[in-house]
Amino acid sequence: MEATIVVIGIGQSLRGDDAAGLMAVRLWQKKFPETASRPEVRAETLELPGLGLLDYLDGMQAAILVDAIRSSDPPGSLRRFTLRQAIAFTSEARSAHGWGVAETLQLGIALNPSIKQCRLILFGVSGHQFQMGAALSPEVEMALPRAAESVEREVLRFLKRFKNKS
Amino acid sequence: MIEKIEVPALARVEGEGGLYIKLKNGQAEEIRVDIYEPPRFFEGFLQGRFLQEVPDITARICGICPVAYQMSSVQALESALGITISDQTRLLRRLMYCGEYIESHALHIYLLQAPDLLGKESALELAAVAPEVVRNALRLKKIGNDLLKAIGGRSVHPVNACVGGFYRWPDVEPIQALLPELEWGLEASLETVRWAVTLPYPDLELDYEFVALHRPDEYAVYDGEVWSSKRKAVSVDEFDKVYLEEHVRHSNALHSRTIDGNPYLVGPLARLNLNHEQLSPLAQKALKESNIKLPLCNPYKSLIARAIELVDAYETAIQLVKNYQPTGKAYVPLALKAGVGAGASEAPRGLLFHRYAVDAQGLVLRARIVPPTAQNLPRMEEDLKSLVPQIVQLPHAEATLTAEHLVRAYDPCISCATHFLKLKIEED
Repeated sequence: MEATIVVIGIGQSLRGDDAAGLMAVRLWQKKFPETASRPEVRAETLELPGLGLLDYLDGMQAAILVDAIRSSDPPGSLRRFTLRQAIAFTSEARSAHGWGVAETLQLGIALNPSIKQCRLILFGVSGHQFQMGAALSPEVEMALPRAAESVEREVLRFLKRFKNKS
Repeated sequence: MIEKIEVPALARVEGEGGLYIKLKNGQAEEIRVDIYEPPRFFEGFLQGRFLQEVPDITARICGICPVAYQMSSVQALESALGITISDQTRLLRRLMYCGEYIESHALHIYLLQAPDLLGKESALELAAVAPEVVRNALRLKKIGNDLLKAIGGRSVHPVNACVGGFYRWPDVEPIQALLPELEWGLEASLETVRWAVTLPYPDLELDYEFVALHRPDEYAVYDGEVWSSKRKAVSVDEFDKVYLEEHVRHSNALHSRTIDGNPYLVGPLARLNLNHEQLSPLAQKALKESNIKLPLCNPYKSLIARAIELVDAYETAIQLVKNYQPTGKAYVPLALKAGVGAGASEAPRGLLFHRYAVDAQGLVLRARIVPPTAQNLPRMEEDLKSLVPQIVQLPHAEATLTAEHLVRAYDPCISCATHFLKLKIEED
């Protein structure tokens, strides 16, 4: 069976809280191995994917992205965004990647109908220390279990929805 | 009249760059390309690391040109240890570099610089009016990433290259399976050159000192001698005796100048002008058919140089993939000893120099990295100075765009961010 749901952690492991997405997805894999190892589900951790992100979304029915964000929320806050909300992010969000996630998704929607149809959820973990060489902040570290549980809930929701449809 | 154009911070990624132009009576009074990116941070934490960790650590300096950092560092460390790599290793490293040129140049040509030339604010706007162009650009780029993945396990920050060779030979089948796409890419890159020469470039002809690696037998990317258009060639080991770094107040990146204090240019224009005779046959043909007069001295036309290099990268890659049949060990075993070594290769943005000193246990004592963007910074500022008389009479938005475009044409590591500059003009 080919994967239909992809869980993607995005970030940079050398830039403090920017690793939040990577760490959250790894924690989800560890805490929920049964879901993470299902054939319909694929997990990826991508450092600086840039436009390459589109290749991971191509052909997927659903995608759950986890990334660090800068926001006015306290560090460690978790927010859930739909595709439409995710693409409204501007580059000022300063997600620490060469080609930002929002711009990449916008480009994907413009060029690839399959990506437009993909049900996409983005979990944003608010971070506050992004400098090179920094460690994950305690606030973001504490938020990881909650992020992993949110990913799990979302994956189960999609699995149920696709099962009912088939 | 005093006019100031100021970009306090680039609005994305590390926030490492800005642009500041102060004009007085229509002349440039002060010009600065501010860079806050700290590549030398890496040099500090490489100290005390085992030398085999260096290629993968330095690769993290850049998400677009990690292979360049790996290739310059392995050569420097192999030189320090007195290791000679096999021909097979050299060719596979060259192939890996083709992957990097393909992904980096396709990105820059179509998604970063072309929108400027076509009057579009971004690649997104370009995609809205010319989706097929952007779709092809993404396909061109993906082939480079796929090549990197087939050799180095992943498309960004590939692993596998090591001091002495490769950790293991990549499987032949996934590499050769890329041939149909590479053949498509070669055709698409030839079309890219034909399209690139039709674009409307701003007029700006400058007197550059071009500096690039050179080899008599191939278009120098992986290694070579350091050539200049204005001085005699030196070996890589002598590079930092002739090309010197200095600290300037407004930049965390060091600036480079020649020993006699002049700025110099590294990158695609320098390579094309110094090494066009070594281009692959189809790249030479594309150059001839485009009727370009060399030396090409317009910085905006770096796009054309990149397009020609894209053809070279695809054609070279196809040959290397067809001939890839590894035998024997993938690496030379390390015999540790104390030593000092230098290495250089041509990153897509220009010459990248590394020097390391290691102790008898293979631990790094000193590291030095001279990235291409830092070398080009004084040149970029000189170019902007030459541009000022042309833009001073333009409406502000147009003047700003022309200046920004010049910075972007260099494809600095901050180029993604420079697409989102916000400018403020102050007059008094």
